[in-house]
Amino acid sequence: MIKEKYIQRTKETALNVLQTQVESLRKKDVTKTGLRLYKDGHIGVSGALGKYDEAELEQRAQDALGLQVPYDLKVSQDNKQTMEICPDLISEQDFPAEMEAMLAELRKEQPKFSFSNKIKLTEREISLVNDKDLDLRFKDRLISMELVIKEKASANLFDAFSGYIGRSYERREFLRLTNDICNAYQNPVDLPQGEKMPVVFSTSDLLPLKQVIMDLNGQSFGTGSSLLAGKAGQQVFNENFTLYQNHNPEDSIQPFFDAEGVVNPDYRYTLIDKGKVVTPYTDKKTAAQYNLPLTGSAKAEYDAVPTLDFTSCKIQESEKTLKELLQGQMAVFVLVASGGDFTPSGDFGTPVQLAFLFDGERLIGKLPPLQLSANVFSMYGEDFIGVGKNSLYTLGKEKYMIMNMKVSQ
Amino acid sequence: MFVFPKNLYTDVRIEDVFKTTIAYTLGKLDEQKVRKYKAAFIRIFDGEKWYYSATSDVEAVQGEIDALAQLATPNPGIYQDPIVQKLEANTGEHTKFQTDSVAIIDSAEKLKLLQSHFSTLTEVEEIKMWKARYIDENVRKEFYSSKGAELNFDFQKAGFTLSFDMAAGERRFSEAFTKGSDSFQDLQDAHQEAKAHVAKCLDFLHNYRTLKPGKYTTIMAPVVAGVFAHESFGHKSESDFMVGDETMKREWAIGKKVGADILSIIDDGNRPGSGYVPFDDEGTKARKSYLIKEGVLSDRLHSASTAAALEEEVTGNARAMNFEFEPIVRMTSTYIAPGKKKKEELFREVEEGIYIEDLKHGSGMSTFTIAPSLAYYIKDGKIAYPVNIAVITGNVFETLGEIDGLSDGLDVDTKVTGGCGKMEQFPLTVGFGGPYVRVKNINAQ
Repeated sequence: MIKEKYIQRTKETALNVLQTQVESLRKKDVTKTGLRLYKDGHIGVSGALGKYDEAELEQRAQDALGLQVPYDLKVSQDNKQTMEICPDLISEQDFPAEMEAMLAELRKEQPKFSFSNKIKLTEREISLVNDKDLDLRFKDRLISMELVIKEKASANLFDAFSGYIGRSYERREFLRLTNDICNAYQNPVDLPQGEKMPVVFSTSDLLPLKQVIMDLNGQSFGTGSSLLAGKAGQQVFNENFTLYQNHNPEDSIQPFFDAEGVVNPDYRYTLIDKGKVVTPYTDKKTAAQYNLPLTGSAKAEYDAVPTLDFTSCKIQESEKTLKELLQGQMAVFVLVASGGDFTPSGDFGTPVQLAFLFDGERLIGKLPPLQLSANVFSMYGEDFIGVGKNSLYTLGKEKYMIMNMKVSQ
Repeated sequence: MFVFPKNLYTDVRIEDVFKTTIAYTLGKLDEQKVRKYKAAFIRIFDGEKWYYSATSDVEAVQGEIDALAQLATPNPGIYQDPIVQKLEANTGEHTKFQTDSVAIIDSAEKLKLLQSHFSTLTEVEEIKMWKARYIDENVRKEFYSSKGAELNFDFQKAGFTLSFDMAAGERRFSEAFTKGSDSFQDLQDAHQEAKAHVAKCLDFLHNYRTLKPGKYTTIMAPVVAGVFAHESFGHKSESDFMVGDETMKREWAIGKKVGADILSIIDDGNRPGSGYVPFDDEGTKARKSYLIKEGVLSDRLHSASTAAALEEEVTGNARAMNFEFEPIVRMTSTYIAPGKKKKEELFREVEEGIYIEDLKHGSGMSTFTIAPSLAYYIKDGKIAYPVNIAVITGNVFETLGEIDGLSDGLDVDTKVTGGCGKMEQFPLTVGFGGPYVRVKNINAQ
């Protein structure tokens, strides 16, 4: 029998912002412990919040083993790695005062807008340790700035959004980001003529990637229900489109290992290489069942059996800046696009609640509400332009992809 | 029970949760889990700011209270504060599910129920991938406050989802059959219903056509109408968006005409189902609120803070997703009140339009969106053939005025998976529903 513990600790200070003032402070320190027992091709899992009795936790895991949940797979072992990412980020003690000061500047610099929602400072510790010499530990500190922007004269619930999740904070840079959005918002511009035009999405916006992510699911791929099933090795997309499963802390906030303890070289796995489908993402069970490469894409709640799920991805940046990719063309920069989806045949449609006209460097002005439409194979095929090598701001290391789409009002 | 600090308002919410999850993929057991925990959320208010703490150690609640009190500034007038004045101090035992709790039903029965549906999926050749999932949850809450609240209440849900991916040649279609209730017994005998749904999906897979993008008269099934009500108007009734905002107060004045005369939208935490919450997470008793009555803005949803700020009454809508979060203004069971037409009449009067029977998701800001799954083209008053639609959208205010027909039945769905998302708190269990609703000029693409 192998005994394994999966522990997630979250320590967080969260400020709620209401009308550009701190309205509340929330402290959280929650530890979630999962105990997994592996025996004779089965897994039994029990879990506890906070303090627990070791013997009782083990007894419950033993009871769960009796339910005979199959797990006839090799448990990760002989791997000891620790990664501590504790950047020179603001301290928990200084955090509330700094945010009050930042909001005071925002009130002065953007008097026509109010700002609400959450600002959080989070410390996470995730470990997966078993008695077969697996000892993976990840410790991280993150700041999450998520401000909803409302023009005071507007009757909308909110009008725009400013924020990022990252491992650095600089007051002036965050104010620059927010000021750019507010200033562009106040300059309404017309949509340029033309049915198709370049559209810019943040690569952290999963809406345009939703179909690709669904179709790269190992189970869908293996059973033949994916639009990409049977297309491994084929040139399906544009040769500028390379997609990785990504657990690299350089540009991901995921731990470097998945919920089954799989660690990839460089913490990445190539799923699409220069437009060719390489492999879907898989956990151990899916990889074994469909004879696919194991990419390490298992997720689990603290008290659950690990299961296949999408974790995090990265699209390879091009050698060009956003400005160079646009070659002098104006683009639609999507800031808020909510509610869209793909049809079963891969057609994409979404309203864009807030978009800006963009020249590759600067948000020029606010476009009217738009509709975007495309097909997944054209979005990442002939209409894919690329991902810029540059970020627009230094805070969250956000990258942006550009593709031609049908744009209408 | 607790020693509350002087000159500060304090409340403590303790959650005792029982939850079962059973999951299968292609007939193989993935998971059979029972989660039980007790945890607490503490709030302290000094008249200026709120201070919160979430803890999984209920033995440490007093320590958390004392630590939070150190952050706050004592205020001798705290009980005259308008927010504290709005907080109710309800007491008593208000549990409803202790004899019918899903926690006392044997896991083997739950397993058997789920397994009894497998053949519905395995007998269809086009189903390439399927998952079956049983979920139940019984939540018992205790609530104590320094104003004297001392309260127990509970709610629960149980249900299952059969999700499947179909493929035939190059055609693909993914859907799910879901059955939910607040009672395990209600889940029995859903086999014919599940089979009929799968058969409908099979027909969709083989016969769907692409819809020409444009504006269509649209008939929404009750579950879709419920999501439409929730997304198009429900979120705008959550009054935290209005606090301190003079424009919003003017724009959203009670008495304003906001929709068609036949339209009434209600939110009611007393209604049985997945939106049942007899008290909110500030200890306020649930109310029935007419958000829109006969086309006119009539009420809105409140926490104590928003009720005080807008000088209105609390409505029992301050809800938290779980012990890790503070209560914010949220919906409970939101539905459109039924009208007078027969369902058949609604269809008969449409020359060309679309019918949305089921959906994947919805969203709502100034425009609402619904991503349909099962959708049909209507021609000359009849369903003609299935159609593929990525999303339907509309401007909220224009669309509410375009509602021109409501059927005479009411169906409020009990959801067991998913829920409502608001900022960091997703998913919160809510109820959706309504009659069949007909709306003109909906943009479909």
